[in-house]
Amino acid sequence: MLFLANLGMYVFPVILIGVPLFAWVKGVPVYETFVRGAEEGLKVVTGTLPYLVAIFVGISCFRGSGALQLVSGCLGRLLRPLGIPTEVLPIIVTRPISGSGSLGVTGEILQVHGPDTSLGLLASILQGATDTSFYVVTIYFGAVGIRQTRHALPACLIGDLFGFLTGFIIWRLMVFGP
Amino acid sequence: MNAVWLVLIASGCAVALVTGNVEPLMSSVLDGAYHAVQLVIGLVGIFCLWGGIERLANESGLIDALARITRPVLGPLFPYVREQEKIMGAVSATIISNILGLSSQTPLGLKAMAEIKRIHGESHRAIHSMITLVVISAAGFCIFPSGVIALRAALGSKNPAIVAGPTAVAGLVATCAGLVAHSLFSKRSG
Repeated sequence: MLFLANLGMYVFPVILIGVPLFAWVKGVPVYETFVRGAEEGLKVVTGTLPYLVAIFVGISCFRGSGALQLVSGCLGRLLRPLGIPTEVLPIIVTRPISGSGSLGVTGEILQVHGPDTSLGLLASILQGATDTSFYVVTIYFGAVGIRQTRHALPACLIGDLFGFLTGFIIWRLMVFGP
Repeated sequence: MNAVWLVLIASGCAVALVTGNVEPLMSSVLDGAYHAVQLVIGLVGIFCLWGGIERLANESGLIDALARITRPVLGPLFPYVREQEKIMGAVSATIISNILGLSSQTPLGLKAMAEIKRIHGESHRAIHSMITLVVISAAGFCIFPSGVIALRAALGSKNPAIVAGPTAVAGLVATCAGLVAHSLFSKRSG
């Protein structure tokens, strides 16, 4: 487990040293090439700003008005027969919309109930199960100026839904046994 | 996206007017716009770093080599661009970063989108391979969810990493379900 935890940490310096060294051996002018690539990265990331402002404004409108709490309340009543604890519903609703938002909700649950309680475990699993779909769709398509995203968002949200369901089922098996 | 954005704004404003939450709405919206700028500023350095490294990998032939190695696995998922080494190399680098949880996932992902866009021309409409890459990235299959594990450790968990197995399985299922949905949607729209 400790090895896995550090895998990303080890891979990072290997890439950072290995790639320029390999390029240098191949006769690539390393400094100039790096700078040109960095310049391109700068253009790409600044190009996503209008798209990110649009989606962030939309999401904060939805959240700040209290509409998000309303939806998660309604969803709670719909999902009660499945046996999903109501405390974690805000995570399910917030996770695809805002990564920092759902991490905040998860943090709150872990703090109140403890990270090693069954509720804390479920909250952690749901938080880690998927990535922030709205953000990924916005920034990936925004970077290349695609405005008609077709079925990208619905497909991502269906993926999220199955990810949550799987996380929930695994949690039930861990806590209550098969 | 048009419908989603309009629903977010319209329902938010409607709820605010009905419940009298207009003041929090105003400050939340301005905060949102500000946070978008803050996010981009925070990403500039990471994008420059990985943009530079990617360019080096590209010009030294590493990206092409990566594309050839991963083709048997990723080729079937990207049938329309599988012969394009520049695209498949960038796509592979993105997916590997995702799985390892490296900070390079978004910079390399956007690079891969740009490579796909190059063969696509000036259209504003998403094509099949772009959606495939977005679905895989959004599902976020990762062997080690460092954010939530760090949070658990900070709050005194005795076994913070216990969630890594379950989240990896859930992420894998999310990826597969998203890809199945993508292929069904594609068939319907022809």
